[in-house]
Amino acid sequence: MYNKVDASIIEKLTEIVGKSNVVTDREDLLDYSHDEYSLDDIAAYPDVVVKPQDVEAVSKIVKLCNANKIPLTARGSGTGLCGACVPSFGGVVITFENMQHIIEIDAQNLTATVESGLMLMDFYPAIEQKGLFFPPHPGDESATVGGVIATNAGGARAVKYGVIRNFVTGIEVVLPNGEIVNFGGKFVKNSTGYSLMHLMIGSEGTLGIITKATIALMAPPKEIMTLVVPYENLHDAISTVPAIIEKKILPMAVEFLERETAVLSGEHLNKTWPCAQGKAHLMIIVDGSREEEVMNLAETISEVCLANNALDVFIADTKSKQKDILDIRSGIYEAMRNYMLEILDITVPRSQIAHFVDAVNEVAVKSGMWLPTYGHAADGNVHTHLMRYQWQDGKWIEIENWEEKYQTVRKELHDLGKKYKGICSGEHGIGIVKKEYLKSFLEPEQIELMRGIKKTFDPNTILNPGKIFD
Amino acid sequence: MKVVVCVREVPDTETYIKIDASQKNIVDANVTFVMNPYDEYAVEEALKLQESAGAETVAVCPGSARADDVLRSAVAMGVQSVIRVNVAEPIWDGLTTAKLLAGTLKEMDFDLLILGKEAIDDGTQQLGPMLGELLDLPCISLVTKLDVADGSVTAERESGEGVEVIEASTPCIITAQKGLNEPRYPSLRGKMAAKKAIIEVKEASVGNVQLEVTGMEYPPARGKATVVGEGVEAVPELVRLLREEAKAI
Repeated sequence: MYNKVDASIIEKLTEIVGKSNVVTDREDLLDYSHDEYSLDDIAAYPDVVVKPQDVEAVSKIVKLCNANKIPLTARGSGTGLCGACVPSFGGVVITFENMQHIIEIDAQNLTATVESGLMLMDFYPAIEQKGLFFPPHPGDESATVGGVIATNAGGARAVKYGVIRNFVTGIEVVLPNGEIVNFGGKFVKNSTGYSLMHLMIGSEGTLGIITKATIALMAPPKEIMTLVVPYENLHDAISTVPAIIEKKILPMAVEFLERETAVLSGEHLNKTWPCAQGKAHLMIIVDGSREEEVMNLAETISEVCLANNALDVFIADTKSKQKDILDIRSGIYEAMRNYMLEILDITVPRSQIAHFVDAVNEVAVKSGMWLPTYGHAADGNVHTHLMRYQWQDGKWIEIENWEEKYQTVRKELHDLGKKYKGICSGEHGIGIVKKEYLKSFLEPEQIELMRGIKKTFDPNTILNPGKIFD
Repeated sequence: MKVVVCVREVPDTETYIKIDASQKNIVDANVTFVMNPYDEYAVEEALKLQESAGAETVAVCPGSARADDVLRSAVAMGVQSVIRVNVAEPIWDGLTTAKLLAGTLKEMDFDLLILGKEAIDDGTQQLGPMLGELLDLPCISLVTKLDVADGSVTAERESGEGVEVIEASTPCIITAQKGLNEPRYPSLRGKMAAKKAIIEVKEASVGNVQLEVTGMEYPPARGKATVVGEGVEAVPELVRLLREEAKAI
């Protein structure tokens, strides 16, 4: 079906990007054979990795692969969680470490135009130094701009301002035939034909290769306040959230987590989670243009929380404290990653989230599997870790028969997601590992339409084959 | 028992600091000033004594009206009363600051004065020991554990050789090191109460400033880390780089 990468292809790739930007050594290729998904069964080595310096080089690489029917997979920093950047059919992996430039920060249009290899950790400070703000915050700041667009990443700060999709205004894309096209631009409004840009966002590198992006920015909120609210149990904590929304308050972020996981992450980062009370916590970020406005919001939220059995309401009112809290919340995954099998991304309507999490906890008790669950309470996006080890009395202990439990529990949780009218991925994408669930969450007609779109863009199926659907 | 904590305002570590045109000061606009993080340990220790031994707690802060926010943060955490020693301009001279505060502190009749081991903006670690000298009180610096009894304190401080255990009679001065406690975050109720707190303002004259800031510059940009390799094979190259490029060995 596909052709192999032979010496003449390597030679041509070397002509395009230069010898130092071609990787063929088996040991070096290991890094490109997986993403953050933990199990080896989806791993696959590319035959070669190339690191182009500009879009013209990307175009030449794609044309070469298309003409020779060689599979081609684009890769950011490999921080994905479902195998979306794993080169399942081998072939060429293209990476963007030589394309990390900030091309322009346009204060008049409130946009930043950047190359797709730019990491978020370099993006945030660059725009903040110009007095601008980019709300989405997918947990891992080593992710690239191209990667977060390709997966339509979300993160904690999505409740009020939205996910990556809501901030991309234009992208430069190399199509599977090698042509370079620009979708969108620096527009706030755009009704000019179908939005191919939005089709590209979240397409996991199956329709085109994003090489450049124009991203909408905003003035930073003048006042931000982070509240940490302890509860005796997770159910009460999560049940508060619809009550807050009912008050017509939309915070920037509402996260729920168990204190145990926050403490674990804090220890990992050498930072202290600010609250020792209670078993479950909400972390709520509110913003506004004046301190009084933010205080009023905080007060109303506080009343709702206390009416729903909150033990107290604590405040982080300085940037460094707010950063500590967000870092600890974002670091939970990192603290768990060596001891887990998979992190799920099921998303339910926010009114269902307390019931869904209760049901997840019932599965945990019944199966004997540790399923620490936390996530974005106000957008319904729940992250359950399927753990191979359990944290007990300061030690990691391997869970008995985890192999058998894993598949059963995984299926049960997805069934619950369906029962509570959810979807199987809110922000991580489908990649390889959730393909089996796509069918149960979407009608066959939808998947057929997706197949048709894929075929129109990529008739030779060279771009990231084996992802999202077969 | 009366516990006084001395707190200071410093730029938030998450703020971008710019040096002004004179090259002798920072641009204050857009800088958020917060309570010096080491002073938060001092406040927490005072609050523990307030809760466990019914101590009266007072926070004192040198500064302009802008420093009221820091004192309100102390109230939000739970401190009972607050005093600002009014000075219009920032003082970089440790001795001048110490003399300025000593005037106010002398009249306060406290058992314990606790402050952070240093302010993170100038990082001099002078204020505690200098106040000890000016007030003729014992000062135990860099304390990581504090036990207070009637008329005396026992404090632990980490030194290069191990842990020193020091006793002193009260009144005395303690400077707080990281590890002394975990400072609490203010509760929303505390924050609301702090808005209404009465801040006593004491006028004080700044004496003869002996230290002059002659210039400020940014630290050199940090270079990017390079991974030389993994395991034993990488060692020769690492040694070569350390010797020839970093000139560290």
